[in-house]
Amino acid sequence: MLPETAPFPADQIVALDRIISGSSAEQRTWLSGFLAGYQAATTPQPTAVAPPARRVPLTVLFGTESGNAEALADAARKAAGKLGFAARVLDMADATPAQIAGAQNVLVIASTWGEGDPPQRAIDFFSALTAADAPRLDGLRYAVLALGDRAYAKFCETGRIFDERFAALGATRVAERIECDLDYEASAATWIDGALGVLQAEAGEPQAGAVIHVDFARAATEGSAWTRTRPFEAEITERVRLSGSRSTSDTWHVELSLAGSGIEYEPGDSLGFVPKNDPALVDAVLHSSGLSENAQLRAKLLDQYDITTLTREPRREGWQVIDMLEAERRQWSEDELLSQLRPLAPRYYSIASSRKAVPDEAHLLVAAVRYEALGRERKGVASVDVAERRKAADRLRVFLKPNMHFRLPGDADRPIIMIGPGTGVAPFRAFMQERDALGARGRNWLVFGHRNYTHDFLYQLEWQDLLKRGVLTRLDAAFSRDQPEKHYVQHALWEARHDLHAWVQDGAVVYVCGDANAMAKDVHATLQRILGEHGKDGVAALDALRREGRYLRDVY
Amino acid sequence: MSTDVRPPSANERIKSESRFLRGTIADGLTRGETGSLADDDQQLTKFHGIYLQDDRDLRPERGRQKMEKAFIFMARLRVPGGVLTPQQWLAAERVARERGNGTLRLTTRQTIQFHGIIKSNLRIAIQGINDAMLDTIAACGDVNRNVTARVNPWQSASHATVAGLARAIGTHLLPKSRAWHEIWIDGEQQVGGEVEDEPIYGRTYMPRKFKIGVALPPDNDVDVFSQDLGFIAIEEGGHIVGYNVVAGGGMGMTHGEPDTFPRTGDVIGFCTPDQAVDVAEKVVTVQRDFGDRSDRKHARLKYTMERMGVAGFRAEVERRLGYALPDARPFVFTSNGDRFGWAQGDNGAWHYTLFVENGRVGAQLPGLHAIAELDIGRFIITPNQNLVLADIPAGRKAEVEALLQSHDLGAAVSGLRRNALACVALPTCGLALAESERYLPDLITRLEHGLEDAGLAQDDITIRMTGCPNGCARPYLSEIGLVGRTPGIYHLYIGGAFDGSRMNKLYRRDVDGDAIVAALTPLFHAYAEQRAAGETFGDFVIRTGYINPTTAGNRFHEDLAPELLA
Repeated sequence: MLPETAPFPADQIVALDRIISGSSAEQRTWLSGFLAGYQAATTPQPTAVAPPARRVPLTVLFGTESGNAEALADAARKAAGKLGFAARVLDMADATPAQIAGAQNVLVIASTWGEGDPPQRAIDFFSALTAADAPRLDGLRYAVLALGDRAYAKFCETGRIFDERFAALGATRVAERIECDLDYEASAATWIDGALGVLQAEAGEPQAGAVIHVDFARAATEGSAWTRTRPFEAEITERVRLSGSRSTSDTWHVELSLAGSGIEYEPGDSLGFVPKNDPALVDAVLHSSGLSENAQLRAKLLDQYDITTLTREPRREGWQVIDMLEAERRQWSEDELLSQLRPLAPRYYSIASSRKAVPDEAHLLVAAVRYEALGRERKGVASVDVAERRKAADRLRVFLKPNMHFRLPGDADRPIIMIGPGTGVAPFRAFMQERDALGARGRNWLVFGHRNYTHDFLYQLEWQDLLKRGVLTRLDAAFSRDQPEKHYVQHALWEARHDLHAWVQDGAVVYVCGDANAMAKDVHATLQRILGEHGKDGVAALDALRREGRYLRDVY
Repeated sequence: MSTDVRPPSANERIKSESRFLRGTIADGLTRGETGSLADDDQQLTKFHGIYLQDDRDLRPERGRQKMEKAFIFMARLRVPGGVLTPQQWLAAERVARERGNGTLRLTTRQTIQFHGIIKSNLRIAIQGINDAMLDTIAACGDVNRNVTARVNPWQSASHATVAGLARAIGTHLLPKSRAWHEIWIDGEQQVGGEVEDEPIYGRTYMPRKFKIGVALPPDNDVDVFSQDLGFIAIEEGGHIVGYNVVAGGGMGMTHGEPDTFPRTGDVIGFCTPDQAVDVAEKVVTVQRDFGDRSDRKHARLKYTMERMGVAGFRAEVERRLGYALPDARPFVFTSNGDRFGWAQGDNGAWHYTLFVENGRVGAQLPGLHAIAELDIGRFIITPNQNLVLADIPAGRKAEVEALLQSHDLGAAVSGLRRNALACVALPTCGLALAESERYLPDLITRLEHGLEDAGLAQDDITIRMTGCPNGCARPYLSEIGLVGRTPGIYHLYIGGAFDGSRMNKLYRRDVDGDAIVAALTPLFHAYAEQRAAGETFGDFVIRTGYINPTTAGNRFHEDLAPELLA
């Protein structure tokens, strides 16, 4: 009944269709009247703003991986609204270059992911825009805010390419591009204010790009909610190692009390966690820089600075701060050392619980990252902080990071397929707790994977209980190191392809969570293959699923 | 037949409802959320040679980790007489390496156990076994188990005869159900599986496990008196002219239940070679019909014998045979152990008996792999958990010897150690009450000090340990027996006959390692000083009054020293 182009997610279209088709003429008349009145009552009166003809249109175009670019885009839209712009936010996942060509003012906020790649959901737009047949953007005025991570070689690569490409297609750059590291909030806010000012002042009068001066040291604007700079101190109420004693991995289940925080998360959301550095590494850094005597500096390095990531030259493959210091081996000054370091960034963990099952708690699943490189044992800052140094009753500094793109379907009857190997299973524990608590009738299929069945079957007893009670409909598991042949979740999917087809036919939403580098790509290709059986176009089919909001990923 | 009014045991229902051993095993194998199988199926897989176990070392941590027990499977080959080709040995090693815990466990029934196979690897492990022309059918369960036979390849003709009889009996008594092939190999359900029949067993199979062994005097390596049914080959003029039939042996008992006991079989008569398979079938059917199907603790043939009496049992067997069994012929056993090292056979070929401590082949695998790759001779597992590299052509002996040397195989050990047997017990066996295989080597090291002091380092004395009273390592038929009670604590038995013809008797109750050493060391010294010429340790402790002899199974718990009557 409703066209596919209706501005609702697919599952809401289904829900609305059901209501409308089942309604009487009288009910529909009442509903249309109600909606008209509701709209009038909730929309600001036209007299309250400047005349429409004089408002400057603005499109805030974002490409996001983790949600940071999206949050910034939203903030930019609000700021623009206050300045009188007719602003809208557009996700690259839903955009085409042709759409953009018609816009007059565009603020591009683009994050870079992995080794210089665009965010996954922005890949189509990125490809179309960089293609030879991309439409011209003459007359369009734009500025680019690039997000990135200096730990990676191609810092802010995607933003840089967008910036150059918009210019090459004839658009006019009104402000120099800003490239932001993980501590982007303050500088991004300042830059946005500046860029909006330029766009507003020079509306209709294209000029050479202005430079916005940003004080990177300025503190981020603090709102009332808990943030990375003002985190909530959540008490650890339980901390259990889930990995067996002979496991090759070290995965912890951590229960946090959110009592009194007012944090209201939804399944699929993440918690940001501001870790503390390994004291042994702090001491090593101080020792290598000749600053061992500086107790104040030691305190700062413990929980304010990123003491692993090299953000300036000299950099070398695999090098961390300690490697550079060891190679140089000289006396440093405190200021000189700190100038090399960026602020300690939070790490994000998918919440593994539902508030409906555990009110006032959030559960996290944390796998300790440890590896050896260049003759030195390396430890993940946050994960090893939890695995080795935090005890029950300690407090973790946390804040909520919503993920609007990884939510359960609104329709509780809709089947879902959850693909989550390793710690990627965390949000699906939250999904199952939620659906269990709601008594949702939709079928639930979990595809889990890890290294060894015996030692790494995370939450096995809980899945068994959910299966027994019929909440979880099906569980397929793939363990990679139990046999000579590698066996991963994509193999389990392929083996189950006929059933997977049927579930998708029945409207299932497919979720993928976990490792982005290998797993998500392999699963993506396998899903394309499965949907492409019997002579169909699997690439198009998976793409269509994504557009319908039925192929959702939270990968890292 | 049976007029028993007691209800049948739960296993009887499971068997009768199993559609000839199928149950829901095939479905259970597809369930990825658990490493286990349904309760009834856990009983049925035994008939396919497969036990569900769990790693008991990991039990304490599992619940906390939100994981079920660390379930693993043990699979046991069916190898009548223990004879493998080198290619089969390599196949077994590969299954262990790729699907199991990387070791092969040679057993007291001359077969190989694979341990630590998780469910997702189970079918492919069994298929690897099947590819090597082997199977695991009836290696456990209420059926005739792997048939054992004397390992004497140096006597080529008689070994061929006894091993041939083991094969013939094993084949004849194999369940006819196709369930094993369906479930593990081809996955195909036979249309109307119900039309199958088990002409010998019937749909409820045996009341309990059933064990058969073939001995050839003077060696009793198969411990013929421990078998439900034994055949003692009788040689005349260099040819086997027939077999004495022994029935009613069995090792298992339950702690604290004196009406359960180990029992040595009774010699009930003699049969010709061409009657032996028929005798086996008829003994099986008598036990099938007269065995206790209500109480599994009293279901072995030995209890049937006690109820029917030897004469009554023999009469029933003869009635079913349709002829009488002549009286048994004379025979003499001298040992139930193995003889190690090289021996040349009557046809010129060479044979090497390799000591494998507790039958656990781990560190020895690479050397044996190299020898198997020569693709000569046969690998024969002995009932004492050792391995014979048999039928090495004289011209190839030096190659094998070189590999034995370069892989450090076959180092000399003490007389006590080379005559030791231990069951698997912890961490995999669900029945174990105490350690066995992981503990006995250390205990022997401690005992060796006393033996050396007494000058007995190279004297053959049999010692056997099990982690529970069920007796897999035949602990009641050794000169020194140790049976687990609780962790670290054992009952100590002495006085068994060196040739396996007489059981031992309880000497110390609930003793730990220190107390075992303290109890045995003075006996070793006394034995060294006071033994008669050729007198074995088991005979010595009886003659000198340390222990009373066990004259029959139903006297096992009797004639104890007064201080043990508690």
